[in-house]
Amino acid sequence: MKSKSSPKLRPTFFDAIVVVLVAALALGSAWWFYGGLGRSGPATYIITHQGQEIARGELRQPREITVEGQYHLQIVCDGESIAVTHSDCPTQDCVRTGRATHPGQSIVCLPEQVVIKLVGSGSGPDLVIG
Amino acid sequence: MKTKYIPLLLALLLLLTGCGARQPEATRQIFAMDTVMDLYAVGEDAEALLTEAAQEINRLESLLSRTRAGSDVSILNETGTAQLSDETAALLDAALHYADITGGVFDVTIAPLVEAWNIHGENPRVLTGGEIAALLPLVGSHHLRLSGAAATLDQGCAIDLGGIAKGYASDVIARLYRDGGMTGGWISLGGNVYAHGTKPDGSFWNVAVRDPMDAAATAAMVQLSNQFAVTSGGYQRYFTAGDGTVYQHILDPKTGIPAMSDLLSVTIVCGNGTMADAYSTALYVMGEAGAVSFWSANRAEFDMILITADHRLLYTPGLAGRVTTEEGGAYEVQVLS
Repeated sequence: MKSKSSPKLRPTFFDAIVVVLVAALALGSAWWFYGGLGRSGPATYIITHQGQEIARGELRQPREITVEGQYHLQIVCDGESIAVTHSDCPTQDCVRTGRATHPGQSIVCLPEQVVIKLVGSGSGPDLVIG
Repeated sequence: MKTKYIPLLLALLLLLTGCGARQPEATRQIFAMDTVMDLYAVGEDAEALLTEAAQEINRLESLLSRTRAGSDVSILNETGTAQLSDETAALLDAALHYADITGGVFDVTIAPLVEAWNIHGENPRVLTGGEIAALLPLVGSHHLRLSGAAATLDQGCAIDLGGIAKGYASDVIARLYRDGGMTGGWISLGGNVYAHGTKPDGSFWNVAVRDPMDAAATAAMVQLSNQFAVTSGGYQRYFTAGDGTVYQHILDPKTGIPAMSDLLSVTIVCGNGTMADAYSTALYVMGEAGAVSFWSANRAEFDMILITADHRLLYTPGLAGRVTTEEGGAYEVQVLS
């Protein structure tokens, strides 16, 4: 004959809280593991000059950055995109690349070794060619 | 709370976190071969592998650069004869094969014209008809002879491996990823891409093909795993002459002038980085009709995405299900058959 469970062994409200917390922790860990944390949030630009990071910020915050080296580059973040608006480098590839707006995109000035890279966002490409 | 629930909760935790620790990953950015290169690797010893990859790229540049003194290519160009490394000889042999199969549209002996136009350099200029006529006879793969690792070039001729060296480097680095047991990652050697394995969730890597008409936009997205993708187009590297004429950097070896292509970009997808590099340049020069005809004759070797000047995006059936484009986007999408 089945015996009635003791009131002491019945799940309590505290037990339910623990179960919810553990489940939330597990889901959060899975989300982090599969890259959610590293790729979410607003797009961020990272600017390197000759291998050294010289600026980093959110794309939504307007800012102007000047790079001084053998050549002079003017970089403008207008809150929606980032672009090299002026450069006195000989090839001008960086200026012609135009605006970068989405994670995965980059702008490169080879003569001055400046790289502007956009990272972040959830569903963007892993890399861009062309 | 009953202790018998604890193992159950721990099991749930492990299940949802993938039952293991996050794999080590590493990134590296280097300037080499006249471009910027990005590498990303996931797996045990990823950091050491990328250090080795960077050393390999520098080693290859020291062999294959046209401008670096002492390289195999420099010695051959300067003296007209050279005992090449086995690696350089094998790559030149491959270049001759691609010249043959493309009917000379891909040709590494184009160096005299590249140097004279200097579109990549600090002082590009428009050649006169007379200058082009004088240089064209120096172009043609019959000027280059290989016998094992011994190479000879005819008087006044020179080679430029710019259309194939990065592709070869991507093959070398891809081999490192495979042999090093990397589970995922990618490399981007200035437009030469290799996508290795899969992402941690098992999905393919998403590679965006830039819109040639709008640098901020994407024309298509293609999913890749263990494949190479290379894009060629004339829309980024060019110079504007005094009269406003735009001269893009891909030269036609037959005419000696920048290719007058009806294509804006060509993306080749296949299992060989060297071939992808050579074909992307060649098919851009061929134009739409030539590129489609070439693909039809060699369809087992590669897939491609063509973007035409009249706003069409064409891709081959081998990419069906892996190419996505924006609904109502800038290009009319067609699948080749």
